[in-house]
Amino acid sequence: MEPASTATATDRLQRRVVGYWMLGDLLTTGVITALAWFVGRPLLAEHWQGWSTNLEHLLLGGLGGLTLLALVVPPLAYARWRYAYAGDLLLLRYGILFIEERAVPVKRMQHVDLVRGPLERLFGLATLVVFTAGNEGSAFRVPGLGAVDAQALRDRILEARGDGRI
Amino acid sequence: MTDASEELPPPPRPTALGPMDAGGDDARRAAAPGVAVLARGHLHPAILLLRLLDALRQAAFPVVAGLVLQSWWFVGFGVLAFVLYLGYALARYVTLEYTLTADELRVREGLFERQERRIPLDLIQDLGFESSLLRRALGLCVVLVETASGRGVEARLDALARGDAEHLREVLLAPRARAEVRAPQAAADDHASAPPTPPAPEWIVHQSRGAELTLRGLTDLRLSAMFVTGYAALELADSLGVAVRLAGAARSAQEWLARFPPSVMAPILLGVLFVVMAFGVGTSVVGNLVTFHGFTLTLRGDVLQRRFGLLTTRQKTLPRPRVQRVTYEQTWLRRLLGCGVVKADSAGGSRSEGEDTAGGWDVVVPLARDATAAALLPALLPGVERARFAWQRGSARLVARMAVQGAALAAIATAALWPHNGPLAMFALLLLPAWTVLGVLVWRNLGFALDAEFLALRHGVLGRATALLPMAKVQAVVVRQGPVEQALGLASLTVYVAGGSPTCVPDLLLADARTLARDIGTRAAVAAAATW
Repeated sequence: MEPASTATATDRLQRRVVGYWMLGDLLTTGVITALAWFVGRPLLAEHWQGWSTNLEHLLLGGLGGLTLLALVVPPLAYARWRYAYAGDLLLLRYGILFIEERAVPVKRMQHVDLVRGPLERLFGLATLVVFTAGNEGSAFRVPGLGAVDAQALRDRILEARGDGRI
Repeated sequence: MTDASEELPPPPRPTALGPMDAGGDDARRAAAPGVAVLARGHLHPAILLLRLLDALRQAAFPVVAGLVLQSWWFVGFGVLAFVLYLGYALARYVTLEYTLTADELRVREGLFERQERRIPLDLIQDLGFESSLLRRALGLCVVLVETASGRGVEARLDALARGDAEHLREVLLAPRARAEVRAPQAAADDHASAPPTPPAPEWIVHQSRGAELTLRGLTDLRLSAMFVTGYAALELADSLGVAVRLAGAARSAQEWLARFPPSVMAPILLGVLFVVMAFGVGTSVVGNLVTFHGFTLTLRGDVLQRRFGLLTTRQKTLPRPRVQRVTYEQTWLRRLLGCGVVKADSAGGSRSEGEDTAGGWDVVVPLARDATAAALLPALLPGVERARFAWQRGSARLVARMAVQGAALAAIATAALWPHNGPLAMFALLLLPAWTVLGVLVWRNLGFALDAEFLALRHGVLGRATALLPMAKVQAVVVRQGPVEQALGLASLTVYVAGGSPTCVPDLLLADARTLARDIGTRAAVAAAATW
């Protein structure tokens, strides 16, 4: 029996992930705003008697709030995110309101994916997705890794598995 | 311990297993399609008769309704449905073929769109055999194959002759035992073919008596069961066309009741309530006696087998190494009487805790006394008898958390009700003491214990559920803190295993939860490395 490892999640994500999250959130917010303002608002104003300027201001306020969230949340999330690959465990710690700490034994991993979306490629980032068996809560994501780091991490995990079964 | 009685299926046929033994590892690796086929078969022709009956039953309603209402559309629809259903059944019967090789089970079916499903034998978690009264009369049975997909049944062979199904089971279960025996030998001498191992003796682990099943039915006080029964009765009444008359009868009964003074009406209503309750309890007793009639749990080699059922007989295998979690569930009434239900999860199905799956597929022991259940555990989880569980309580701050939540709820409810109800809304403040009492109850039942090989968790309010998880099966550990929990320094711990739903221990001290998570993680990693 090994002594319980004292490792905690210590590694931080790449700082540019803040920019990536912000850009992604702002783009989503932009699309929602455009839809709500240029499609939803005229439709409501035309077909619903109860539409008033007050509701219009409420809508504007809501959209402004979304934009504010898109600007505020990424730095907070970045400040909280920690991960580590120590011993035979992949450790994650993240969350703003709800803080989660996850530990995944390497031997239990079924397969490991590296995901790079177009925006992520723009920022030179990659997301590592680890799957364990089972259907509930079986995928674990580590976003905002440098492309090279992510590959190195994946290779280390594969090496630790050792039997090429991933 | 008694040996298998003559009720049990015949021992495996050694001839069928021959090719695989002779082939050894080389043949296994080189097993091309068509080589080393251990079993091959089709559905039994009698499936057509069953399907014909199904089709008739489905078509009967629209056709009869159409004839009565003189609407030819209905009749046409019924006939079309009949033809389509029968055609589908015929196509499936003609095309479905299963092949069992040393490595995998292949099920091929489809007329226009052929599909071939290949299930590696290593990945098969459980096998289930089900046989309704009609199927039994025809000598048929349904074979259900579960893999670790977590979606439950992966392949369903609708109707196999009894003998074929038993043959399939023997062949499917045999490689597991043999692979373990052969592994060390293969390294020493690759050519030595293992002598055909005699069938392992079958031990009876537990046999349910009628009294136990009756008690299970009596304590099965679930409103849902009553609703289901009531709904079925209503549906029957509706299909017989008496619903309209019943509604009329209910109205006249209401008028009749209205003539009585309240002092007479109350006993009458109580009597009706009692009759309804008695009906519910009676049906649940009968239901349990029928479903679990003659429940026998046996162990052969490393495979647990359950056989039960009066009308529909069911057999389910569960290889012991595949057990992910064993739970001992006690509803409050059963806890009061000192008994409970033992269930086991494999990676095959997924269910929520406390919920019964239809047909009792996951039940290992329908009802047992506390002491009996504890004595049974080593049969399900080998090694658990060595484990020393030092139970630890959760944090008493849990009560504080519940009180805070209760206060918040009470404030919101009072504020919401005040404009309409005035001072009466103050009754909502009772939520605070209620929540606090709930917190105390939850805290009293909450506990965890960590051993080198096993993790034990228990929780409940009035009833209690105790879960035993082998460390080697732990997939991931999650520590989670919500906003209130952060303020109080609490955290919940969730342990994931393959299949079944995750097991959660709420309201531990953050430091405890972290230490526990780290210990579990490390031990799981070590245990997994040892047994992978």
